Amino acid sequence: MAETVHNLLLGFSVALSPPVLLYAFVGCVVGTIVGVLPGVGPLAGISLLLPATFGLDATKAIVMLAGIYYGAMYGGSTTSILMRIPGEAASVMTCIDGYAMARKGRAGAALAIAAVGSYVAGTVSVVALMFLAPPLASFALRFGPPEYFALLILGLLVLAYMSSGSMVKALAMATLGLLLGMIGIDQMTGYFRFAYGVVELGDGIGVVPVAVGLFGLSEILATAGQETPPAVIKPTLRELLPSRQEWKESIWPIGRGTVLGFLIGIIPGSAHIISSFVSYAVERRLSRRPEEFGHGAVAGVAGPESANNSATSGAFVPMLALGVPSGPIPAVMLAAMMVHGVSPGPLLIKQQPELFWGFIASMYVGNVVLLILNLPLVGVFVNLLRVPYPLLYPGILVFCILGVYAVNSSVVDVWIMLVMGLVGYLLRKLDFEPAPIVLGVILAPMIEMALRQSLAMSDGHYAIFLTRPIATTLLTVGVLLVLLSLKSLVTRGLDWRARIAMAEKGEEL
Amino acid sequence: MTRARVLVGVVALAVVAGVAGAQGSYPTRPITLVVPFPPGGVADLTARPVAAALEKVLKIPVGVVNKTGAAGAVGMQYVATSRPDGYTLLLALSSISIIPEADKIFGRPPAFTVEQFAPIALVSADPTVLVVRAESPWKTAREFIEDAQKRPGQMSYSSSGVYGTLHMAMALLEHGASVKLRHVPYAGAGPALTAILGGHVDALASGPAVVLPHLKAGKLRALAGWGDTRVAALPDVPTFKELGYPEAEFYIWAGVFAGKGTPEPILTRLRDAMRQVVNDPDFKGAMDKLETPIVFKQGDDFQRFFDADARRLAAGVRRVGRIETK
Repeated sequence: MAETVHNLLLGFSVALSPPVLLYAFVGCVVGTIVGVLPGVGPLAGISLLLPATFGLDATKAIVMLAGIYYGAMYGGSTTSILMRIPGEAASVMTCIDGYAMARKGRAGAALAIAAVGSYVAGTVSVVALMFLAPPLASFALRFGPPEYFALLILGLLVLAYMSSGSMVKALAMATLGLLLGMIGIDQMTGYFRFAYGVVELGDGIGVVPVAVGLFGLSEILATAGQETPPAVIKPTLRELLPSRQEWKESIWPIGRGTVLGFLIGIIPGSAHIISSFVSYAVERRLSRRPEEFGHGAVAGVAGPESANNSATSGAFVPMLALGVPSGPIPAVMLAAMMVHGVSPGPLLIKQQPELFWGFIASMYVGNVVLLILNLPLVGVFVNLLRVPYPLLYPGILVFCILGVYAVNSSVVDVWIMLVMGLVGYLLRKLDFEPAPIVLGVILAPMIEMALRQSLAMSDGHYAIFLTRPIATTLLTVGVLLVLLSLKSLVTRGLDWRARIAMAEKGEEL
Repeated sequence: MTRARVLVGVVALAVVAGVAGAQGSYPTRPITLVVPFPPGGVADLTARPVAAALEKVLKIPVGVVNKTGAAGAVGMQYVATSRPDGYTLLLALSSISIIPEADKIFGRPPAFTVEQFAPIALVSADPTVLVVRAESPWKTAREFIEDAQKRPGQMSYSSSGVYGTLHMAMALLEHGASVKLRHVPYAGAGPALTAILGGHVDALASGPAVVLPHLKAGKLRALAGWGDTRVAALPDVPTFKELGYPEAEFYIWAGVFAGKGTPEPILTRLRDAMRQVVNDPDFKGAMDKLETPIVFKQGDDFQRFFDADARRLAAGVRRVGRIETK
């Protein structure tokens, strides 16, 4: 403990030195911009800016790249809430209730809660990172393909809690998403599936173009199709801040989102994306008024936004403690260290204490910087809503196309986004929800890979899922969840979902 | 007055540039170095210092563009079909010879062929090394191979993906040592390393630089290398050649290519420039930090290396054949 405090002081002496502080600040600002820009997510942002850090020393480079990463998580919520455009994949869930809140004139409140939730999650998870990194990292490495598969199956069950309308429609959308996720190179055999000679499709359908198209573009199309243009929301200053009631409803979701995000974040791979989906489902499951979700529930913003931020810190656990490239973003950051001659590995903490503790301390500082940066920006961003639609929407469209194109310099991605925008528009007219499609596109390649890797490990024996304790436990939890939902079906007859469906029917009649 | 003078200057410059261009004094405009892999990977980390040094030598901006997708096929196809004028160059890895062979196996039209490129220079060639976890029972490569011979298809290895470089290295060893191992592909070299550190597979063929810290920390053990000679950073680790498996020869190499049909004077200019690049102190320093030794080959020397490597890999891909999963 005393040693940790001592080390942390060393870290703060590094992190608060003006040059390092400057780069942390620059990273946070750039990250916020990256998050706000539709399409450009943290991975794309870090990758694009990696070369710019080659001229810096290792500590500054890492501090800046990390700032971009968690800054993007802060910024990602902004466009989701204001315009229903997910800034990156992790903010898809925020589009639903955040945007619904904005339509009700609570955009300021949603943004403020997202920023505070992100701050709490960021700070708490850095504390966890500091004290728990070494033991957790070894545990995280035990997540091999079978464990990953079990976890993702749990994630898939979460789908059941995501939609507010008909379950059949939600499952149909999830299936569509899973099918779209099948496009691309078969990772186990190298076979091109459904690519029709388009080399770019070899990598499959990207989550970002799909999410931006389904949510953002379809919203723009739908608005353009209305007979009378929607009234421009003019928020007053008092409405910028969350009410006491809204704070009260956010406290627990923020806490739960933080823990959940951190735990999912430490697992090697790309599972951190699903942290916000899982958090949303958990909040809805625990809520006393689940029917509010989808219509502007505060918890539906607070939970997922906290989860995606603490998942960021979680993702650093195996990277810092063991030098393991535990996901795409840590891999890029490890490369940045190698460029500077720092060999990332289990000995990093001992050999480079300034780097390690400076990094940890800079994350505390960075979160404060982001809070200071984001809260006043709430007022600025909310005023974007005052821009008349004929000016606002074409502008957004331009940014969507630029952002999606910039990630891979791929025109194919832009086409995917445009097609998905049309699909999203049609689905909206037919009352289907797009979120399960996005989750399907995210999960399909990961589940398939994990399942087939597991079977490659066991030479085709499914028993591998029952002989590994973590995998077995996770799958058992999944089975229990299914049984629990069946039970409520049997005993209560009608659950909230059915009530909503009835209510909606009533409205239509 | 001044404005007019500037204008005259600009026009004069343009004329001079135009004339110079006509005389073949390449380059007159910025050059793009295409990296078909994402930033932060081996190719990208090699390309950045190459571009920086090339910029100094040619006195013209050289930009790195990451054109990623389909395991590198997107970027390589892009260069193969670009105009062969020396302004679009490619930094490729061994996979340039693997992808067209894999396309053949599936009977699909190849995204590009090796013949579409003109080699300029080899920059680095790092042999892979066989690593196992420190607590595993195999102390030497011989023990590993003997055990694998006794238990065919039981011991497993992770790789960067099917037909990827790390898969090919293992496939060549499997053939050379007549063993059958269980292949668990991952999406990239990073996850493959994570898999062996987590104990989910038994072995991994890896570039030396990324496993060095884990070897030093005592988490992994290196058994043998795929090189013609031992890896400088691992002087105690024998090569498979020494151990009597000469077919297990494999390098993760990086080289600069132009499109086929690039005029000979431009190729000569680029080859001269690359010779200066590898002697540039900044470039040497950058490669040193990456712990990647510079291996420079040009002309016939590079062509021979490239052809031999392509032959080995083509044979490797054909031997692996089409993968049928259960």
